[in-house]
Amino acid sequence: MTIQVNGEAFLFESGSTLVALLEAYGVTGDRIAVTVNEEVVPRLRREEKTIQDGDQVEILTFAGGG
Amino acid sequence: MSVAQDDKLILGTQVFGSRLLMGTGKFSDSETMVQAIEASGSELVTVALRRFNRDRQEDDLFGPLSELKDVTLMPNTSGARTAQEAIRAAVLAREISDSPFVKVEIHPNPHHLMPDPIETYEACVELVRQDFVVMPYMPADPVLAKRLEEVGCASVMPLGSAIGSGGGIGTAEMLRLIIRDSRIPVIVDAGLRSPSEAAAAIEMGCSAVLVNSAIAAADDPVGMAGAFAQAVSAGEAGRKSGIMPRSDQAVATSPLTAFLDGSEPRN
Amino acid sequence: MAEGNSDMSVVADMPDWLNPLPWVEIAQTADVGDVQRALRTNAPGVRDLAALLSSAAADYLEPMAQRALTLTRRHFGRTISLYAPLYLSNYCNGGCAYCGFAADRMQERSCLNCSQVEAELLALKAMGFEDVLLLTGERCPQADFDYLFENVRLAAQHVHNVSVEAFAMTQSEYAALSEAGCMSVTLYQETYDPDAYAELHRWGEKQDYLYRLDAPARALAAGIRTVGIGALLGLSDPRTELICLYRHLETLRREHWRSGVMVSFPRLCDEQGHYTAPYPVDDRQLAQYIYAFRICLPDVPLVLSTRERAVFRDGLAGVGICRMSAASRTTVGGYLPDDATTGSQFDVSDTRDIYAFCSMLRAQGLDPVFKNWDAVFSALSEPQKI
Repeated sequence: MTIQVNGEAFLFESGSTLVALLEAYGVTGDRIAVTVNEEVVPRLRREEKTIQDGDQVEILTFAGGG
Repeated sequence: MSVAQDDKLILGTQVFGSRLLMGTGKFSDSETMVQAIEASGSELVTVALRRFNRDRQEDDLFGPLSELKDVTLMPNTSGARTAQEAIRAAVLAREISDSPFVKVEIHPNPHHLMPDPIETYEACVELVRQDFVVMPYMPADPVLAKRLEEVGCASVMPLGSAIGSGGGIGTAEMLRLIIRDSRIPVIVDAGLRSPSEAAAAIEMGCSAVLVNSAIAAADDPVGMAGAFAQAVSAGEAGRKSGIMPRSDQAVATSPLTAFLDGSEPRN
Repeated sequence: MAEGNSDMSVVADMPDWLNPLPWVEIAQTADVGDVQRALRTNAPGVRDLAALLSSAAADYLEPMAQRALTLTRRHFGRTISLYAPLYLSNYCNGGCAYCGFAADRMQERSCLNCSQVEAELLALKAMGFEDVLLLTGERCPQADFDYLFENVRLAAQHVHNVSVEAFAMTQSEYAALSEAGCMSVTLYQETYDPDAYAELHRWGEKQDYLYRLDAPARALAAGIRTVGIGALLGLSDPRTELICLYRHLETLRREHWRSGVMVSFPRLCDEQGHYTAPYPVDDRQLAQYIYAFRICLPDVPLVLSTRERAVFRDGLAGVGICRMSAASRTTVGGYLPDDATTGSQFDVSDTRDIYAFCSMLRAQGLDPVFKNWDAVFSALSEPQKI
């Protein structure tokens, strides 16, 4: 299936969890925030969150800012 | 009495020894940034929320910042143009940082970056409700400052001049009114260019200053961070020591107090 | 609350925000340098006030007056706003040791009825007044809250600005007065010194220091637009009193930032209460204190009544002071042409009529202002909810 990660298409196995997606996407460390279809998925819920075809996933982190 | 006369800066429930808050933007590399923060002695630093970039994982600031002892992160909501966007950014940032601090920063105009007072107010109302320690970046407006205090903000952060402008404290008259009537810390955010301006802000009664560009864009950011730290300490010591006033008062010649000598009243 | 003066053991604790101690020390020890500094700084605070109240500042009356003139003119223009007191009743359950109104003092008392109040209001309007301060004694059956409320409502039909100087009330009472048209409430703490306060207020509701201290805040929370505060100078150390007064004002201004605060400078003169002021304040001192307040509070209205002599009032009009009563009668029914009137709380020292007083102001280049507020806006808006 194809989903959107940070605005770009990403091929991924249907029915897998968000944790699996993060691993597949190459996220190391857990200091990120994730939204799926604009909903925030708290860290503790990533294990149970399954990803479906067409989902829009955003992965966010910190950068420099004033 | 101004907040600056108290010994410590208190934001939310946390006590800070340093009155210098630092931003982490515009540094050439994260190593310099980390050294600058160390040199500044800052205990509260701002970060921004960005999309994760798997090709540039070294851009993630959380790793380097987490090495710093006694530094609390304060995510900002920059990029948000409305209250809704800012609230969303704050919630996401708290996911990452576990920090209750949020710098509310809403500037719809990408050119001058002036804060939107109405969206800022609305975002603060909601973020206080969600138990954030809310620190709004705001126009130097005494009425807005009281409104933000009333809704439960931990501080107000009026601008000295436009973001990145290096215009210094162009809002002194308004800042004085804000400081006079505020029951929460007043932190000058934006516009400071040089350490002397930071000292001046603390001298006039601000509780702290937030500096980013002036440090990041200096020839030697680490040296400049140390200079700001000294300036803020000097400003505080100066204020506590009682600053000598100017002597430029013109005095009229006709006596106004003759009536007190039992002589004819003033005419 | 129990009547009688048996329970003198309860001396209220001053709240922390009122604590004058570090500043009182400055007021006692300030030197010429401190005074000069306070006169020159462009954002004076409580430290500067303390210096300007000190004996060292007594040698700086003229420069203080000059500064006060400049600041008064800058913030209030060349105007003096005028009001008239209207004594509704001199019945009083109070036991203030210094007051001629006290329950155990005056024999003959009276209380105006509606038609008499109306006649007084018309007499004041005929002189030009649109700003009237209604006064009563402490809460008592003859002049209770309902009586005051009715008279506020009546006065609001006749004049644009109705103020009240009566007893300390509950917040809901203040809210009711506000809705009836009361714009401002004046309530002096009398003395901020808790020991003196306990000693001087011999019985009744007024014994509760903190309840009275909090009353201006309650009034503002209830939607009253402006409060007038003050210390009755003479009862305790004046410098301490005035520093507390300043701190009280600062706190009100921070908490109720939409509201106005005014400061009056009543001082105890020879009243009918067989009481001699232990800390008398002379003319030079009072002038110094008023200049000091103007310098440190440039945008706060400072008020002076006809308690003071004409020459003193003329000297301070526009030099610190920007609001004055005029042509005042402090007797109940005093503005009525023929009625027998009964005793006053204090004697009027400046007995000029309104025409003479306004001529004096105009001769000094000051414009007498009878009305600077139009009640139409407040009639349209909801009472403020906190």
